[in-house]
Amino acid sequence: MTDPHSSNNHSQRSSHDGSEGSSDSRLVEAHSQLAKNKEEPSEGFSSLPIVIVFLFCGFGFWAGVYLTRNAGGFSANSFDLDAPRLVADSGPKAFEPDLAKGQALFIQQCSACHQATGLGVPGAFPPLAGSPWPLGNDERIIKIVLAGLAGEIEVKGTKYNGNMPNIGAGLKDAQVANIVSYVRSAWGNNAEAVTDVKVAEVRKAIGGRAQYSPKEILEAHPLETK
Amino acid sequence: MSQEHSSSRSSVSRIDASVSLPVRLFIISSILWLLVASVLSLIVALKLQVPSFLSDCAWFTYGRLEVLQRNAFIYGWASNALFALNLWIMSSLARFELKSSWLPVLGGLVWNLTLTYGLIQVLLGQLNGFALLEMPKEVAPAMVVAFLFAALWPAVAFARRPTGNVFVSQWYIIGATFVFPVITVVAQLMLLWCPTLGVMQALVHSWFYQNLILLWLGGSALSAIYYFIAKESGRTISAYYLATVGFWTYFLFASWTGPATLLGAPIPVWLQSVGVVAALMMLVPIVITAVNFFGTLAPRSGIAQSWNNTTLRFVLVGTVSFIVSALLSVVFSTRSLNALVRFTEFTQAQEHLAVYSFVSMVIFGAAYYILPRLTGSFWPSAKLVHLHFWASTLGSLLFVVAGLNHGWAAHGRTDFAVSALPGLVAAALLFVGHFAFALNAFGMLTAEEAPSSRRSY
Amino acid sequence: MKNLNLILAGVFFTLAASFGGLLLSGQVQLGQLNRAPAEEGGPLFPAKEPGLAIQGRQVYISLGCVACHTQQVRPAGQGNDIARGWAARPSVARDYILQSQVLIGSHRLGPDLVNYGARVKSDDELHTYLRTSVAGSVMPAYGFLYTQSKDGSFRPTEDAVALVAYLKSLKIDYSSPEAKLKQ
Repeated sequence: MTDPHSSNNHSQRSSHDGSEGSSDSRLVEAHSQLAKNKEEPSEGFSSLPIVIVFLFCGFGFWAGVYLTRNAGGFSANSFDLDAPRLVADSGPKAFEPDLAKGQALFIQQCSACHQATGLGVPGAFPPLAGSPWPLGNDERIIKIVLAGLAGEIEVKGTKYNGNMPNIGAGLKDAQVANIVSYVRSAWGNNAEAVTDVKVAEVRKAIGGRAQYSPKEILEAHPLETK
Repeated sequence: MSQEHSSSRSSVSRIDASVSLPVRLFIISSILWLLVASVLSLIVALKLQVPSFLSDCAWFTYGRLEVLQRNAFIYGWASNALFALNLWIMSSLARFELKSSWLPVLGGLVWNLTLTYGLIQVLLGQLNGFALLEMPKEVAPAMVVAFLFAALWPAVAFARRPTGNVFVSQWYIIGATFVFPVITVVAQLMLLWCPTLGVMQALVHSWFYQNLILLWLGGSALSAIYYFIAKESGRTISAYYLATVGFWTYFLFASWTGPATLLGAPIPVWLQSVGVVAALMMLVPIVITAVNFFGTLAPRSGIAQSWNNTTLRFVLVGTVSFIVSALLSVVFSTRSLNALVRFTEFTQAQEHLAVYSFVSMVIFGAAYYILPRLTGSFWPSAKLVHLHFWASTLGSLLFVVAGLNHGWAAHGRTDFAVSALPGLVAAALLFVGHFAFALNAFGMLTAEEAPSSRRSY
Repeated sequence: MKNLNLILAGVFFTLAASFGGLLLSGQVQLGQLNRAPAEEGGPLFPAKEPGLAIQGRQVYISLGCVACHTQQVRPAGQGNDIARGWAARPSVARDYILQSQVLIGSHRLGPDLVNYGARVKSDDELHTYLRTSVAGSVMPAYGFLYTQSKDGSFRPTEDAVALVAYLKSLKIDYSSPEAKLKQ
């Protein structure tokens, strides 16, 4: 068998004899020189580095976009990329006020003045139980919780000169909705619950405003007479 | 043929002589394991064609034999051979003479004995369900220790080299050698000794598996490609300044690609997406290595010259396979395409492309270069070399093309029709090639023991 | 790039980064999963495995069944697993928390088994499959799991009984908080 590649192998073999060490040294040396002169002098200006840099930037950009779109919010519970879209197709989920949470928040945030019984302290803090203020139009009570109320008001025949801070400004929409829904349904009160969407709307409408005066709030939302 | 050249036998260089014993041990054991794995893959392919073949005994079920085949191939053949390659290439480049060769020899012996013990246990039914971690858990500590003894020497050679200069192959060898013990210890701890909860196990396993294939096997093979292209073509690597970037990006991104092999699995989607991004970012090192390799070989009809050189011919097939396999895994890491071919023969073919057509072909090429320099004699038969090259190349081409085609055709179907015949033919071809290789290698190694070929320094 | 320690430190960093980014953060998210009820106050899922099923898993592993069978069903948008009727919902991480070795598999030469217990009709049917295989299937017959008594009938060995108990325990026919069954 005439075998060019085997004879080539042999010639390689003999040229290699005895010079192996130097040839490996030469290989290392030559490449170390190359590594030192970053540019290849013989080629002059090379466009390769620029193309590669652009390519890499493109990859990096794509990676960022891909991850933001396909990471399922980095949640431990997301196993199906299509799942969130399917939920969105079936419409937004209705807000269910959690009255237990509302009660807990009320105890925490409001009961120091209005008392856990909702009866307030006569002459100092107005009652919520049986009061027309939190009932009826829900925007009134949401606005008061979000922005506060300062000035003289009259509730169930008793005059109060209170100063309620903007409790709701530091709470989330859902938390405010839970508190307000609780107040509107506890102690014999009977008005429909409010949603977090409604709270968000009102919060957006009033912005970061100061406390309401009684006159201002009643002009916007007069008390409903029974 | 060996006769006519026996007079021209030359001395073996001192460096080669110093590593001769361990390198021989590694190569001989790797070839023996290769034969074992080839026989096993023939049986496994036959069992797909004739399911009742050897099915009367629990020892020879498809599941166990497939495990044996994979472990014998990766740990027996590829890892042993890469011990030899890494040691030889590194000591050549670093001008390092191994003072006492008994430590790597001891490591090699322990490695092979442990592997034998582990595989016998697998045959007897003591196995785990994690690919390439199937052997009983007491095997792993012994294998890690054996690995350190067997594979540490390239790092020693690097640390003690007389000149400060380095070549890219040396980085890859250091990196690959570092990766193996770390990932094995972590994976064994998190999977077998104190198992993590639920699907975390699958995640840990994917991390281990990708690192093992891409970094330990792939990294070592890349080092050999860089070395032999520069050495055998006598050219300097083109765009060499990019090789540093290639090295770091390869190691950085490859170790994140694990979850890309788990698309659709019950792990959070963000982990899967991170894997997909890492798989795509692998384009960076692929482009760089492709520019390095083909930029070096392509000008002045270098490819044609390489084709006439035994070592470079194998390395060339390995290089092309590396790029094709890397590109395939990039493309088929995209969710929509992955969904079609996942779990099919397609992924098997992809894996074959990586561990056989890429890694093993490079090892063959390197062995054709190293063994003559180690023994001071020539390959006994050029015909067997030819036979080996064509049988291996065509066999793996057939396996890959048939697997890709079958896997692709399987999507949307609801049966499990397996076209086992191409796989069987491919396994037979590979077996023939490996047998030719083994015959040639053992012919050379034993001929050299004859008194007429005593070396003189 | 000439200093050994520098290269080792760099490679260590790349491994450590992926270890932290993938495995540690995965562990933080998935390491504490508990069983959960399908509906308020209902029984907790996944159900505790019967002791025989735990033994059966060892048989499943030891025969290498994972080489051909997966135990995972992908979401409907990714592959046709659900369309093939293997389960009514994709599998999620919580389904696997009680399993000592998770065998989700990576290669299918046969059907997925994650919900097999809900699909199979009876023990006898399953024993027949195992003993004689199915016509046209590449699955071999596992005859060595059975002994033949004098009257010609086949008796399953302990391994076969355990394996069948294990296969029957594989079920995702309940809603989990991450993946509800379609009503």
